[in-house]
Amino acid sequence: MARILARFLVLLLVVSICEAAPLFQPISDSHRSAALELFTLDHGSFKSLEETYEALRTFQILGIEKKPDVTAAACHSISETVGSLSSTPKDLFYALKANSIAECKIHAKASKGIISSLNSAVSGSSSLLDFYYSVGGLVLIKDQSSKDDLQLADAEGVFRSVKAFSQSDGRWRYSSNNLESSAFAAGIALETLAGIVSLASSELDQSLISTLKNDISKLFDSIEKYGDGTLYFDDKLVDGYEYKGPLSATSSVLRGLTAFAAVTTGNIDLPRDKMLGLAKFFLGIGVPDLKFYLACRVSIPLILSLPAAVLSLTKKDSLKVRVATVLGSNAPPLTVKLVGVFSSVSKDASLVESQELKFDQGSGLHILNDLLEIIDVGSYTFVFEVVLQEPDDEKVYVTGSQTKVPIFVTGLVRIENSEIVVLDSDLGSVESQSKLDLTAKNAVSLSANHLQKMRLSFRLTTPRGLAFKPHQAFLKLRHESKVEHIFVVGNSGKHFEIVLNFLGLVEKFFYLSGKYDMEFTVGDSAMENSFLVAIGYIELDLPQAPEKATRPPLQAIDPYTRYGPKAEITHIFRAPEKRPPQELSLAFLGLTILPLLGFFIGLLRLGVNMKNFPSKPVPAAFAFLFHVGIGAVLLLYVFFWLKLDLFQTLKVLGFLVVFLVFIGHRILSHLAAASAKLKSA
Amino acid sequence: MKSLSFFFFFIFIISVFPFLCFSFNPESPTDRRVLVLLDDFSLKYSHSIFFNSLKSRCLNLEFKLSDDPSLSLQRYGQYLYDALILFCPSTKKFGGSLDLTAVIDFVDSGHDLILAADSTASDLIKNIATECGVDFDEDSSAMVIDHKSYAISGTEGDHSLIVSDDFIQSGAILGKTKIEAPVLFKGIAHSVNSANSLVLKVLSASPSAYSANPESKLLNPPLLTGSAISLVSVVQARNNARIMIAGSLDLFSNRLLRTAVQKAGSQDKYHKSGNEQFVTEISKWVFHERGHLKAVNLRHLRVGETDEPAMYRIKDDLKFSVEIHEWSGKNWEPYVADDVQVQFYMMSSYVLKTLSTNGKGLYLASFKVPDVYGVFQFKVDYHRLGYTSLSLSKQIPVRPFRHNEYERFITTAFPYYGASFTMMAGFFIFSILFLYNK
Repeated sequence: MARILARFLVLLLVVSICEAAPLFQPISDSHRSAALELFTLDHGSFKSLEETYEALRTFQILGIEKKPDVTAAACHSISETVGSLSSTPKDLFYALKANSIAECKIHAKASKGIISSLNSAVSGSSSLLDFYYSVGGLVLIKDQSSKDDLQLADAEGVFRSVKAFSQSDGRWRYSSNNLESSAFAAGIALETLAGIVSLASSELDQSLISTLKNDISKLFDSIEKYGDGTLYFDDKLVDGYEYKGPLSATSSVLRGLTAFAAVTTGNIDLPRDKMLGLAKFFLGIGVPDLKFYLACRVSIPLILSLPAAVLSLTKKDSLKVRVATVLGSNAPPLTVKLVGVFSSVSKDASLVESQELKFDQGSGLHILNDLLEIIDVGSYTFVFEVVLQEPDDEKVYVTGSQTKVPIFVTGLVRIENSEIVVLDSDLGSVESQSKLDLTAKNAVSLSANHLQKMRLSFRLTTPRGLAFKPHQAFLKLRHESKVEHIFVVGNSGKHFEIVLNFLGLVEKFFYLSGKYDMEFTVGDSAMENSFLVAIGYIELDLPQAPEKATRPPLQAIDPYTRYGPKAEITHIFRAPEKRPPQELSLAFLGLTILPLLGFFIGLLRLGVNMKNFPSKPVPAAFAFLFHVGIGAVLLLYVFFWLKLDLFQTLKVLGFLVVFLVFIGHRILSHLAAASAKLKSA
Repeated sequence: MKSLSFFFFFIFIISVFPFLCFSFNPESPTDRRVLVLLDDFSLKYSHSIFFNSLKSRCLNLEFKLSDDPSLSLQRYGQYLYDALILFCPSTKKFGGSLDLTAVIDFVDSGHDLILAADSTASDLIKNIATECGVDFDEDSSAMVIDHKSYAISGTEGDHSLIVSDDFIQSGAILGKTKIEAPVLFKGIAHSVNSANSLVLKVLSASPSAYSANPESKLLNPPLLTGSAISLVSVVQARNNARIMIAGSLDLFSNRLLRTAVQKAGSQDKYHKSGNEQFVTEISKWVFHERGHLKAVNLRHLRVGETDEPAMYRIKDDLKFSVEIHEWSGKNWEPYVADDVQVQFYMMSSYVLKTLSTNGKGLYLASFKVPDVYGVFQFKVDYHRLGYTSLSLSKQIPVRPFRHNEYERFITTAFPYYGASFTMMAGFFIFSILFLYNK
């Protein structure tokens, strides 16, 4: 049960929208859409009956109209579980819980079966969770079927056996063999015991109830505390059981308390400040569901909140305060007093006297209209006190002492007399002077060398004509190489001035001469007209950097340029060698034939003959073959040029050479013999 | 016997099954197992929209407290997770075997990291960021303040809840859909290390922002101002590990995801901030659901041939092609871009050509082999903003002309040939006449 509440609280935590703790907002559409987002049907049903219940309960609380498919899916799994004999008490418990919302029809026969199986489960239980599921199931049946005769046979015995799990510090154990105690289990136990009491046929022993009340107050002694007075329950990491966190533990305890208070008579004595601390815990995480306050019949905390913590002087906002109960319902008649207003600068004295806020019946707000005519812009702490008008209400409501609320008052700040001047260093004479309009972009162009100074001055006044010191007053100088220098502009009263003595700054400027763009920013949380303006630029002439000067820091490269495609590269081929024109080559080719022609002409003129050619057939054949062979070698050279390669040529040449040597020897020796014979003759 | 072998087969299949499902493999680069470290389990609920969007994308989240004594990223040398989410800004020391070096080793081995800090950020968290090239403001009380572009809110008047719409222009990182509403941010500033070329500012502050303590007066100029302030940065390491570093844990919270937003001085009201779209899209990028490229089928051919040659000759005409696919989170889809380039490279690139694409992931280029011989490489170095980098290379030798591949009948040489052949003809006639003349 506590887990379900926790899930619901978590849901609200999930959607608690951007509001500071003192502000309380009712459930809105954003909560609802978030709930629908959180619980979605998986293949037509929820994952478990537990989740079915959580979804239904959440939709119910948030006022989401039941979607038919959700209800139908829930009813289907409920009737399946209830009808089955083998369902565990846990499943039955969640089925019945879901049924309390879905309101499906359960057969009378099935419910009888459940009662008997749950009854036997109660008697067979050995751990706290077993008791919790089976007793809880019976209570649910009793509520749903309005069977008054449903009673627990041995209520007191069961009560005692559950009580056996309690520890001396008010926490409870899950089972008898588990030594770890937890606050989460305490909540479960309280709820179980409340169920037993409601199922009991006769009044239980009052001493049992009073010891239990004792346990509860012990449990509250172990409550944990945040610095701002917020209280919560938390468990240490317990092995074997899932650690659920402070939210689950706290809500479990409160559910148990609620249930228990509902079935017992007489108040449970709990300190008021603890109730308020717990309320703060839930409000801090934006959870409005705190019905236990009503159920416990303890004091209802009143929560003071502001619709807006930022008040504008220009819009003439008035101070509005809402006082409501933690549940968001209207508070009883009361007066809200503004006890003091403290500036964040000087915290000691209040700026205004204590005064009452007027109650506006229509909006339900407490309003103070003329406050902003007294106070100036800035951040303040307002201290409020809530006083109930009727003394009887004090028994019902608890108001807390004083509430401190941080408030920002904003307005338009006037900027005047802004000017920028370049001065000569030694004499202080003005070199050049320009007025600035800090509401628009300026285009001042100045130039200075390292012996000069630059002065920027302006005045800031608040709407009330007082001095104003903004949080942010920066002069930024940016060199062409994107090196930036920032100076904080100081003030004396309303007058703001910064003097840049370039002689002392050369090292800081890394000796970088050139154009510096100037940007001026004034901003504050109380200023409605915060601005960032470009003033223009100053051309600085700084001395050369000495060798050991520090280098300007590396500037980041723009990622867009770093990742772009590279420029294409095409290979430049080596240019072919220059050749003479074809005609010229052919002309020279023609010229090369001329010597051969000259040779032929010479031969004809000499009158050559072939008279020495052998006349006998054999030598004539050798002579013929010899010259054919020479011709073949020459032809081979022509083929070598045309198509053959060296190896082919040499191969053929080899055969031809052997042939030529043989033939040549025969014909030449024949010719030699013939000429020798001729000589001797 | 048969049943026994079937049994062993069954056992084998069972034991292999988890690896099939959950192990990271290059064929489906999306992360599966994510370890989420929290300061407090309540974050599980206060940031549930973000976590649910991760779960709905089939990521297996495992939540642990950052001081859990059983923390460990690896077992028996195998990493147990594909990614780590550190939502534990105030943790001074991790539990178990996890420490700074373990986190850096995790990233160095190609795993992803999301780190969110806030004003409570511990030195440990800042050191992890520094190792990734991001420097958080040293002043631990400083926050990003912007008096010009803050979110109008009735309750928060100190202008530390700022809005920013200065996004990086990258479809790979932030998705194709433009983020219309500005992003709400409340946290601390960081700057990216300018010497680190891998880190990118995804969300920058406006020029009027500065990093300071809103409570105290400023005496010295703040360390970080203006657009130099990065609110969210990402790193893509050389091994394609992706890191996201945010200066705000609230950026992911349900509270800011569901808040209506109006920027100061602007009339545009948005019923929901841009945070949800921003964190969802950027987490898709970090977990490799987008911007992950692979290149396959690198081929090259001599024009007119069908088989890949083992070697090219200078001045050959060749065709180069490669297929590039992008991982969409579920399957590989063709990647379409017009800036993929191929280099023909030996010591320096001789040819650098932009590939033309057919729109189905195939990239083509044809060019002439340069007239320089040696051992070349086809290189595709594709580094684009937000995408994993592709570095492919394939070695290929280029030879000069063979002796018989040169031009054979050069007109210019005809006079030499003519001279030789007339000489030969003269010799032939002379040899006959010399022998037989009388």
